[in-house]
Amino acid sequence: MLQYLVILLAEDSVSFCHYENRNTGNLLSINALKESLRISMLENLSVQYVFPEGELPAEYLAAIEVVENVKIMPSNSPYAEKANVLVFNGFFNLKSAKSGIPYVVRCGKDEFFTNYEKLIPLLEVTPHLSVVFKDLVKFNENDFAQYKTVLETFSKHVEELYVDGKSPQFNLLTDRMYLDKMRNCEAGVKTITLAPDGNFYICPAFYYNGEMPCGNPNDGLDIKNPQLYKLEYAPICRRCDAFHCRRCVWLNKLTTLEVNTPSHEQCVVSHIERNAAKSLLAAIRKHGEFMPQLPEIAEIDYLDPFDKIEK
Amino acid sequence: MNIKERAEAWRSGVSKNITFIVTKDCQLACKYCYLVGKNINERMSFDTAKKAIDYILSREDEFKEESVVWDFIGGEPFLEIDLIDKVCDYIKMETYRLNHHWFNSYRFSFSTNGINYHEKKVQDFIKKNHDHLSIGITIDGTELKHDLNRVYKNSGKGSYKEVVKNIPLWIKQFPFAGTKVTISSADIPYIKESVLHLYSLGIKEVNINVVFEDVWKDGDDKLFENQLIELADAIIDGGYYKDYACSFYSEHIGKPMDIKLENQNWCGAGKMLSVDAAGNFYPCTRFAQYSLRSKKAVIIGNIHDGIDKNKLRPFLTLDRLTQSPQKCLDCEVASGCAWCQGENYDAAETPTIYQRATAICLMHKARVRANNYYWNKLFRKLELEGEREEYEKSKHDGPLKIC
Ligand code: SF4
Ligand code: SF4
Ligand code: SF4
Ligand code: SF4
Repeated sequence: MLQYLVILLAEDSVSFCHYENRNTGNLLSINALKESLRISMLENLSVQYVFPEGELPAEYLAAIEVVENVKIMPSNSPYAEKANVLVFNGFFNLKSAKSGIPYVVRCGKDEFFTNYEKLIPLLEVTPHLSVVFKDLVKFNENDFAQYKTVLETFSKHVEELYVDGKSPQFNLLTDRMYLDKMRNCEAGVKTITLAPDGNFYICPAFYYNGEMPCGNPNDGLDIKNPQLYKLEYAPICRRCDAFHCRRCVWLNKLTTLEVNTPSHEQCVVSHIERNAAKSLLAAIRKHGEFMPQLPEIAEIDYLDPFDKIEK
Repeated sequence: MNIKERAEAWRSGVSKNITFIVTKDCQLACKYCYLVGKNINERMSFDTAKKAIDYILSREDEFKEESVVWDFIGGEPFLEIDLIDKVCDYIKMETYRLNHHWFNSYRFSFSTNGINYHEKKVQDFIKKNHDHLSIGITIDGTELKHDLNRVYKNSGKGSYKEVVKNIPLWIKQFPFAGTKVTISSADIPYIKESVLHLYSLGIKEVNINVVFEDVWKDGDDKLFENQLIELADAIIDGGYYKDYACSFYSEHIGKPMDIKLENQNWCGAGKMLSVDAAGNFYPCTRFAQYSLRSKKAVIIGNIHDGIDKNKLRPFLTLDRLTQSPQKCLDCEVASGCAWCQGENYDAAETPTIYQRATAICLMHKARVRANNYYWNKLFRKLELEGEREEYEKSKHDGPLKIC
């Protein structure tokens, strides 16, 4: 069931995920904004605003407060103090940010391999750190190997923090530890996006990459083949236990032409994380009892569940 | 390999089907032809075919199937007999040179309109490759029926006479060859006489399908059922069931299907590979632009950059459950109700292969009823004549229905 409405306030609203935004600066029309908020109230949707870097007209700042909301902002937003989630573009200005709220660091894989140590201090400042790759589909065999090594090193620091009695949250390592079923992005199932053109899209990436809209606030939501966004209709994912994986339906579409089918790269990256989480959980438990209700993560002999499906 | 063998080989997963779309030209302009983008310009060059073959043969570890069917299609493939001859020679030479496991496990396969079957170049090619050939000639039935649809592009005249004069030669060269008949709405009244006519020409195996496209009119299913019942009477009363086959009747169709155990996909798209004159690869020819009405081609790579394996993943993991609407999962007569992935894609509301088209629903149900009639009547007759046991021992399953 739909639970969240993401509203891109402008064309250059910060990208918080795998896609690129556009820098034209066009705003969502105030009417579309108001109409969508009315719908959010009628349909019980939680609203998440995505802010651009620049300032917004006073009229908008007033209108958005009509409903309870979450504000996703770029780290350099003039309103950053009011943010509920901060998005960093790469590894700049990581230190000067507001603390106590979730962070998203959006970066390229090579940037991550070189700079990942800069993230370690953040683990004590933010309740949840997410790293999202701009170039997930470009991971190659060498990158997979390097990613594994980097996560192993990173894991040591996380382990120390846990031993210290802290419980840092980091999407690439700890999210999987806490899950016993899938928790993916669920764009098109739990979340829908209102784009600056006044139409609904499965997620911002679908808007920026020229996919068809799925309705608008006046005529209502109209997702074609809605079942295909659901886990049960994803033949590879429904057999998988990389529960933390975003299962990005947009990257799926981009790489395999089907929203329900992930690429090899997506699956391997998520399994390297899954396996790192497995080792981390085991390592933490060597120091004493830790969340005994969480099951062990099983040993598996594949990195891509596609390989396990009989064809 | 005939159509039946090809289907069996595919099912057991031992044969790779590789299709060259050698030309998009044809002498005919058949009224039902699904190739919406036919034209005279796109002919495959030898260089393109060679690059495709080199790509495939140099990846023995990725193409592990025990054997291969090299399929040449068009338009009309025999318009390009010079190219085909050269390509086939190259395949034989290269598989020998590379000591490739397909060296002696291959077939060259053709679906032709039969018009230039007798010509010297075609005949020379047949003589040279006879033991490794399967050739299907398409003939729709009686002259009237055939000429209704299969007309010359330029004159609009029917092609029956030119085709039928080549049938005896074809049957002499390939006694077990079958033909493929495709039924659309306008063809329904002619089904019975067409099949009997093909039998009378000496063709023992008639593979016959209704089109998957949404072409059916109200009442077509009843007409279809009546035709199949009349045909059943003719086959049984005339004793044809002993030596002739018609793929409409099968003991295995019309049963409910198990959600868990019978979840396989039906068609071979993605397991086969198709290449066109531009050097693009497709999961099946039905996904090339010239076969699609309303969607963009699904190109899974090309002869220069190779196959993008990510694009094959949806095809290789597709199953019956995921693509079927609930009515098909609950259906009491689901077995044998087929689909074509390409048509599903073409007809879907979004560009997906995961939305099964069910335009044939009523036609399948009609076929199931007529099929029940056929077997009830046949088995009763055999029992009364004391021949049931013998029939069971000697029976060969009706030809498998394939695309
Ligand atoms: S589908 Fe989800 S994971 Fe993918 S880009 Fe959109 S929001 Fe991000
Ligand atoms: S790892 Fe692959 S199969 Fe598993 S949830 Fe992620 S995308 Fe799906
Ligand atoms: S299309 Fe109709 S006949 Fe075929 S399986 Fe579905 S419900 Fe049954
Ligand atoms: S059923 Fe359709 S998509 Fe499948 S192999 Fe045949 S023509 Fe291709």
